[in-house]
Amino acid sequence: MAEPQLSRARSRAQLSNLPITLIIGSVLVGVLVCVALMSFVWTPYDPIAINVRNRYLPIGSDGHVLGTDKFGRDVLTQIIMGARNSLFVSVVSTLVSLVIGTLLGLYVAAAGLKVQNIASRGVDVGVAIPGILVAMVLATAMGPGNAAAITAIIIWFIPVSARVVIGPAIQVLSQDYIEAAFGYGRTKWFVLFNHVLPNISSILIVQASVMFAAAILIEASLSFLGVGAQPPTASWGRTLKEAQPLMEIAPSLMVVPGLAIVIAVMGFNLLGDGLRAYFDPQQARKQ
Amino acid sequence: MRNFLNQTVILLVSALIGSLVVFGLLRLLGGDVAYILLGREATQDQVIALRAELGLDRAWFVQYFDWITGFFTGNLGRSFSGSYDIFDQIGQRLVPTLLLAFGSLLVSMVLALFLGTYAALNADNAKGVATDVVSQIGTAIPAFWAGLILVVVFSVSLGWFPAGGYVPIQEDFWGSLRSIFLPIVALSLGVTSVTTRFVRSAMLDVLNEDYIRTAMAKGRTTKSAVFVHGLRNASIPVVTVGALQLGNLLAGTIVIESVFVIPGLGQLLLSAVNGREVIVVQSVVLVILLIILVMNFLLDIAYGLLDPRIRDKRKGG
Repeated sequence: MAEPQLSRARSRAQLSNLPITLIIGSVLVGVLVCVALMSFVWTPYDPIAINVRNRYLPIGSDGHVLGTDKFGRDVLTQIIMGARNSLFVSVVSTLVSLVIGTLLGLYVAAAGLKVQNIASRGVDVGVAIPGILVAMVLATAMGPGNAAAITAIIIWFIPVSARVVIGPAIQVLSQDYIEAAFGYGRTKWFVLFNHVLPNISSILIVQASVMFAAAILIEASLSFLGVGAQPPTASWGRTLKEAQPLMEIAPSLMVVPGLAIVIAVMGFNLLGDGLRAYFDPQQARKQ
Repeated sequence: MRNFLNQTVILLVSALIGSLVVFGLLRLLGGDVAYILLGREATQDQVIALRAELGLDRAWFVQYFDWITGFFTGNLGRSFSGSYDIFDQIGQRLVPTLLLAFGSLLVSMVLALFLGTYAALNADNAKGVATDVVSQIGTAIPAFWAGLILVVVFSVSLGWFPAGGYVPIQEDFWGSLRSIFLPIVALSLGVTSVTTRFVRSAMLDVLNEDYIRTAMAKGRTTKSAVFVHGLRNASIPVVTVGALQLGNLLAGTIVIESVFVIPGLGQLLLSAVNGREVIVVQSVVLVILLIILVMNFLLDIAYGLLDPRIRDKRKGG
């Protein structure tokens, strides 16, 4: 009789012990993902339908909660479609670069000191190169669009994720049980995947969250500059670009897409902070 | 001295690799520039003629060597469209971009040192939490959106600042500052927020150190212990973050110049991207790359000056 009560009390205590950043971050990210998924089944209006009679409707108009833009398109629909593009770009680029960066990082960690020195120098330089710059080069080479943006973010993120992996992986590799595994006859990559990777997985999860946030920011910047997603693909950055010349007639058009970016980025940042605190409470308390 | 030489070699090798990568990416992924410039209706002869005219029919290493020597001797030729001399154009546009980037770096480092220390000293109370929340939000605000909102509020509504454009600093000093004030605010926002969080955690680490406790035991107030011992020791992570942020700030100028219509390197780069001006793109990217690499080089030198322990460790190793 007493047991279920106890466990319920414990689970409630565990829930309230969760870092507040983790809770807020999860909620924001959850909303973002739901909105993006919903766009596949339903949007309030046709995202590319143009209705000249309904141009520049203000926020709170009948039937258009967030108003309409210069083509009479529903702003809420644009924002929902933009969420889809933002998430698409950040998920693809983060996952691909995380996989490549992790493999690179593991390889370097298991290699000799010489490789480690050279690699860490290279990684330091790579990390210092801003993503937008890479994107400009790729947009010239490949032509502007999501493909150039995604490739640029991947190239930008690979050294970042490699750097996060190398240090902790070296630390794990110096443990006694790793030596035991090698003594047992395990190959290098078997050890890396079965012993090192699980031990650094929490770092990777936190890193992924932080990278999602950075990817959303840069995707918005690139589409604002016109080198990211091309019409008719809706994106928050381009919605802002289109609103820029209209700032004197319809300043409200600039508010909503910007807020969407802030909420999405903050969601992933908070989620990352929260996960870090959850995985490593001692370190988090000190921070 | 040995450190200095090491760092110089690293700088040169990185610059060489960087220039090769940029050059290579544009050649490998770029396809035929002559074909793209002429459009679909171009005949084969026209394409071949344009390729020869632009020097694109030479071997890649000849093109690379030509570009690199031109880059350092000031002879990059005219743009494909023929409307400007590339080297002159880069020189003219460097000033506003550097003003923006270094101005923002200065503003954000000073603000971050102050805010981060404040947040660390108030880590347990509401003031500290408020600073954390503000910096968390600041990190998430894209610079271009901050710029747009600033323009709407301070230029369009209040009329305090020009909505865009740049007054050259050699012509009118105060007018120039007025024209880059809002861009610098917009650009500094994100970097200030990120660096504030770094300063805060560096300062919290330092405050837990024994020497701070010793200083307090010797009768120093918290404030003087923080200023005498804390700031100097917390400065190393701050300088690191600062130098890393310079890259982000330079990249940020591309977006901010687009918001405020400032004729800097970013605007040149953007128009070159759209016009497929390959030489312009690779030259501007190399300029920005070199600035970042030189800053990293100076940073590594500065480490030794800030922290004798790092200097000694390097000498030993």
